[in-house]
Amino acid sequence: MTGTPLLALDLFVNGLIIGLFYALMAVGLTMIFGILKIVNFAHGEFYMIGAYTYTLISLGLGVSPWLALPVAAASGALLGWATERWLMRPLYTGYGSWGLMKDEYAVVVTFGLSLLLINLVDKVVGPYPVRGPALSDVTRVALGPFMLSGQKLITAGVAIVLLIGLALFIKRSLWGRQVQAVAQNRLGASIAGIDTARATSIIFMASGVLAALAGALLAPIINPAPDVGIFPAVKSYVIVVIGGMGSIPGSIVAALALGVLESFGAVYLSYDYRDTFGLVLLILVLLFRPQGLFGERAREV
Amino acid sequence: MTTPRHPNFLASKLAQEMRLALVVLAVLALVPVAVSSPYWLGVLIVSMYFAMLSMGWNLLAGYTGQFSLAPAAFAMLGGYTTALLAWHWKVPLWIGLPMALVVPGLIGLVLGRIVLRLSGPYVALTTLSFAEIVRLVIYNSIDFTRGDQGLNVPALIDSRVGNYYLFVGALTVITVGVFLLLRAPTGRFLLAIRDDEIGAASRGIDVVRAKTVAFFISCAICGIAGGLYGTFAQLVSPELGLIAQTGIVIAMVVIGGMGTLVGPLIGAVLVYVASELLRDAGNVQMIVFALLVIVFARFFREGLWGLARQAIARRRSATRTAASGV
Amino acid sequence: MALLEIRAVAKRFGGLRAVDGVDVDVAEGELLGLIGPNGSGKTTLLNVLSGHMVADAGQVRLDGRSVLGLGPTALTRLGVLRMFQLTRVFNRVSAFDNLIVCGLALGLDQGRAEQRALDLLGELKLTHVMHLDGGQLSGGQKKLLEFGTCFMVPPRIALLDEPFAAVHPTMKETMATFIRRRSADGQTFILVSHDMPVVVELCPRAVCMNAGKVLADGPTQRVLNDAAVIEAYLGEDAQAAEAEHGRA
Repeated sequence: MTGTPLLALDLFVNGLIIGLFYALMAVGLTMIFGILKIVNFAHGEFYMIGAYTYTLISLGLGVSPWLALPVAAASGALLGWATERWLMRPLYTGYGSWGLMKDEYAVVVTFGLSLLLINLVDKVVGPYPVRGPALSDVTRVALGPFMLSGQKLITAGVAIVLLIGLALFIKRSLWGRQVQAVAQNRLGASIAGIDTARATSIIFMASGVLAALAGALLAPIINPAPDVGIFPAVKSYVIVVIGGMGSIPGSIVAALALGVLESFGAVYLSYDYRDTFGLVLLILVLLFRPQGLFGERAREV
Repeated sequence: MTTPRHPNFLASKLAQEMRLALVVLAVLALVPVAVSSPYWLGVLIVSMYFAMLSMGWNLLAGYTGQFSLAPAAFAMLGGYTTALLAWHWKVPLWIGLPMALVVPGLIGLVLGRIVLRLSGPYVALTTLSFAEIVRLVIYNSIDFTRGDQGLNVPALIDSRVGNYYLFVGALTVITVGVFLLLRAPTGRFLLAIRDDEIGAASRGIDVVRAKTVAFFISCAICGIAGGLYGTFAQLVSPELGLIAQTGIVIAMVVIGGMGTLVGPLIGAVLVYVASELLRDAGNVQMIVFALLVIVFARFFREGLWGLARQAIARRRSATRTAASGV
Repeated sequence: MALLEIRAVAKRFGGLRAVDGVDVDVAEGELLGLIGPNGSGKTTLLNVLSGHMVADAGQVRLDGRSVLGLGPTALTRLGVLRMFQLTRVFNRVSAFDNLIVCGLALGLDQGRAEQRALDLLGELKLTHVMHLDGGQLSGGQKKLLEFGTCFMVPPRIALLDEPFAAVHPTMKETMATFIRRRSADGQTFILVSHDMPVVVELCPRAVCMNAGKVLADGPTQRVLNDAAVIEAYLGEDAQAAEAEHGRA
């Protein structure tokens, strides 16, 4: 059980599971980038709100964590909807007339939202971490040669279901196709009669749901605190850039790869610096293939 | 020929903002005459630390359009430069403090080169990643930096009032320096790059050089601010580089007025002093500021200073109409 | 020796030969009209000349010196000034400062730059809006302002890409007058335009491009009467008519 190949396999599986959570976060971020070409710097706070909603509903009302899960999803959807409605909609209904450029506005306003949510939670709930309830008490499940905790197994399962569900939604449903159309060409889509505002709203809600559920599923491990979202958010920025901004499959692959890289790196390179691997990778990618991220770097004139 | 004047011409705008900045600095310099409370002097010293960071960040974000999310990280780098030199090698402050200017400046130069070809959100993402790497490395290199315990830094000046004037002096030098830079051709090149990089290159502006200069100066300003803060607090810790600290800087600049010379100055002092007052009123300061950031970004790009400027212009035109008389 | 020598320049995008072996000489003081149907490669050629694109093959010489591969900044400093089809002004600085920054970039001092800016604003009839930010100007005023920024320091050659498109007739006349006057003073231009009457009126010589190649080069009137040129334009009309028909 302690042989090196088995350890490596164990690290690999654990890395993949972590990668699944990164994917839940990164996919939402990349979808928002795909449709608005902006980065949501409050994405980590969607995750934080999800983790808190799940924990507080479940502990406060004494209901089963399984019932708290959909409530957390709803909180993410609501937050996504509100963000789009009040902060993002001006971006595509004539921001040109303001002094701030689109990118600047998006960075400032989402960063401001992030500050607001962190400090609101800090004030209302308190700065101390809360212990999130587990979905399963089973501490060890044998899955072939691997020993995994029940919580990890369940959450990994839910994450996979969510990602597949999202893929089906985007590919198959009418709304999903409209979203794709808007991401490719907002003007064209609106001429074709698609409600672009609604498509954007759907994306923000979906993104909020995924992030909030990631937070809820991880609540027993991370113990929600107001600033708990910062780190997963930074990870998903890295993933989204490496995976090619706006590409959903790209970010899923990058998320899984980062999870595995960190899992191995923590053992074979350095445990203390495990969180820096992704960041270094990001800077290397930007250094050596900046044009790879933009597709072909055209000088538009 | 006489130079034409209009409040919207850059030269007039800058001169007006510089006059106001000098007034703010003069008021700051006079405060110790009226206020002797070490607590409030301390509050103002920290607010001046933030004013320096805001000035540095605004040079990049407000004037060059490079949305760095690393000002706090550069302050931390500056603080640790001085602290590590003093801690490990007993380097005196008169060498250690200038190094807090040089080392972060050079690191900023390299970072500027990395993000040179990137635009918009990529700059923000890269600098954010850089900020987190630096903080994590300092946090985890316990043998070298003592991790989250932080490092003790020798004091440059012992008295509170002495430190106060040190900060007033440094802030004045930085403000005048940024003013001179903005008044020089380079300042206008930065604005051109902010508005349209391809257009700027097509008019003969050396975009690479101008951006690199902006990164170097901005990061050097943040670095020396961190170095000075270290000698004042006599401690540096990885907390100096938290993203939340960058958030405070952004809040100050957006509230004061982005892309203006005096905005960051007003913003930093007002926000920090107000936050001390609000702390007593139930710790709601950051909530208020975060809301203000969103509201200002949405409705008043030029922040408080922009609002004041509009008011001044309105009153001027009113008096002019009155003077021309019916 | 020609001021600008373009030799066998080629640029392709994937399978499309946007510019396919173009040879053109532009003499000092010449006002050359560059015409051709949409998609004939005019703007791509200008992009190569102004350093915004790198040609795949060929040679470009300015004053006998090879300039192929230089970037926009370097070419601007050598005196190749470019006006874009999609207007580019600095949106958040005043019209006056828009001009000044372009003068400073080419080495004028502040005083000289202000003087030149005022002269140009007067000549282009923009003095009354000089205090407005670039972004606050009307479309035509933006075009005029961008046009003006090319002349803060007299360029060796000015490349104008559709300067008259969607510009009010009075402003168009202002610009045309400006071009005529400078041309008489020996300023060199390449003027890309779809506006045939203006090209006929301003340009003694024209080059017509089609499908990336030079179709005709010579006195404007003769180029316009060239059978191949008429064919190229008619072809476009015929295609347009067909498309129209298909849609209906």
